[in-house]
Amino acid sequence: MSIEVLLKEFAEISEHPRRQIQAFKAEGKKVVGVLPYYAPEELVYAAGMVPMGIWGSNKKTISMAKEYCATFYCTIAQLALEMLLDGTLDDLDGLITPTICDTLRPMSQNFRVAMKDKLPCIFLAHPQQRKPAFGIQFTMDQYQHVKGELEKISGNTITDEALREAIKVYNRSRAARREFVKLAGEHPDVISAVSRSAVLRSAWFMIKDDHTAKVEALNAELRALPPCDWKGKKILTSGIICDNPKLLQIFDDNQIAIAADDVAHESRMIRVDAAETGDPMMALAQQFADQDYDILLYDENSNQNRRADFVVKQIKDSGAQGLVLFMQQFCDPEEMEYPYLKKALDAAGIPHIKLGVDQQMRDFGQASTAIQAFADVL
Amino acid sequence: MSIYTLGIDIGSTASKCIMLEDGKEIVAKSLIDVGAGTSGPQRAIDQVLSEAGKSQEEMSFILATGYGRNSLEEFADSQMSELSCHAKGAAFLFPKVKTVIDIGGQDVKVMRVENGVMTNFQMNDKCAAGTGRFLDVMARVLEVDVQDLGALGAQSTKYVGISSTCTVFAESEVISQLSMGTDKRDIINGIHQSVASRVAGLAHRIGVQDQVVMTGGVAQNTGVVNALQEALGREIHTSPLTQYNGALGAALFAYQKYQKAQK
Repeated sequence: MSIEVLLKEFAEISEHPRRQIQAFKAEGKKVVGVLPYYAPEELVYAAGMVPMGIWGSNKKTISMAKEYCATFYCTIAQLALEMLLDGTLDDLDGLITPTICDTLRPMSQNFRVAMKDKLPCIFLAHPQQRKPAFGIQFTMDQYQHVKGELEKISGNTITDEALREAIKVYNRSRAARREFVKLAGEHPDVISAVSRSAVLRSAWFMIKDDHTAKVEALNAELRALPPCDWKGKKILTSGIICDNPKLLQIFDDNQIAIAADDVAHESRMIRVDAAETGDPMMALAQQFADQDYDILLYDENSNQNRRADFVVKQIKDSGAQGLVLFMQQFCDPEEMEYPYLKKALDAAGIPHIKLGVDQQMRDFGQASTAIQAFADVL
Repeated sequence: MSIYTLGIDIGSTASKCIMLEDGKEIVAKSLIDVGAGTSGPQRAIDQVLSEAGKSQEEMSFILATGYGRNSLEEFADSQMSELSCHAKGAAFLFPKVKTVIDIGGQDVKVMRVENGVMTNFQMNDKCAAGTGRFLDVMARVLEVDVQDLGALGAQSTKYVGISSTCTVFAESEVISQLSMGTDKRDIINGIHQSVASRVAGLAHRIGVQDQVVMTGGVAQNTGVVNALQEALGREIHTSPLTQYNGALGAALFAYQKYQKAQK
């Protein structure tokens, strides 16, 4: 299949998640909503259901969710609830609510209260101390709880064999996406910022086997291309999410390619694989323990500014000339970390800009000015 | 034969044009008090061409900038962000400039300039605090002309703090002060200090170095300029061409681009 056809398919799926849910339901499948971050989707897959990532929406405005939410909750969480309340996500059979940030923690209870008997909400609390043995045990206990709830929804027992198979499917998906990110950075003449986002975003709305097959096909096409002599600029994106095509179009209009990313919705979630042998629940808990360089994760050596150094290295390794930080409005972890990131970037002589964004933005005039000016500075 | 280039700055509240001869001499300028999405850009263009006695065809290169820069795709040869143009214009007027502060109708920008080239910048968040719009709203509440704010604020005899940087909350604060009978001139002075405080905070993020130049329409307000000088502890330079600075930068870039195309 040609690159153009594949990209069109990814774009179509990326823009129509509800249509995807309806198609799964029409096939008799059960669908479980998965909120950010680090939920073990493998358990949903192993239960014979379809996990559906819910990272807010670029098309909705917050109305009904206001009844439940403090105004300083990020739009990602508020719009997720909005879609649960306005009927957009009525076809879901369950919802996993991780609680890794200060907004998602109370929001897990808002989801529970708002959904009452309508939708089972599965509480998931990752440990702060994820690396020591007791932290891994805590993660396993939490995942055991999630597993039990998913078994109730699906009516299926999640066997170790099925879970190991799910881990293999997800490892392959992550590997394909990681390779795509690299190839997209090398071929910005073919993969625009808008297309790149659609490929990665659609992963949240597809059964991973299907998504991986398409990404691997795309990767094969990209690998066969001659090297790209890119005349524009290259940057690294950072933040929680930047999937609005209108915003990303500004990068394409100004010949700014995304060389790589440090975005939670994109690469942060696919950095670490799980072991394909041994106890699969332990493998998933260990996978979470191995996650690193994310503002949402506790770092006992945070005084060493390891995360910011990691991002600086990412920029250098990818050939990016600067960093564009998408600062989600009211995102405490990102805001708190910014001075440390800025310090490391300044020390390395790497220019950056910080764009304040939220998912209810429809006009990007100011962002357009800043991005265009940034291209002049690079 | 002389080379004529035209710079057009379509802002959110005004449209400005500058015509340059050989990238050095200002031949004509125009300013219309309405900006993007209005008849302002066309009227400003007509006016500058008429003043110079020139036609569009005689312009070797036309470059658009400002919030509405993309709306002139059919007329302009190219477009650039207003940050680059403001830095360029300020460096033309003040060759030693290192910091440019531009307070426009709906945003605030601070630019670091090295040897006439922008090397870093900061913009305000998507909020009207500290912008020309903030002053417009306050002038309306106070029932004074926005152009008189500088002179009125200079007559203040008593400090009145306007603590809110949010336009909506500050408006409530001003109304509250008015209802208590506070002198308008003292309130205006407080508003200027509020704007200066907000803008100084933004400027410090990239570091302020002399020479500091302030551009944009708000630079005509001596109250804001003085308050900002105090907040930064540095002299701020302004030009009578302050409102035209973005258009001037655009006309300079237009000349550069024309020359490059000829090579």
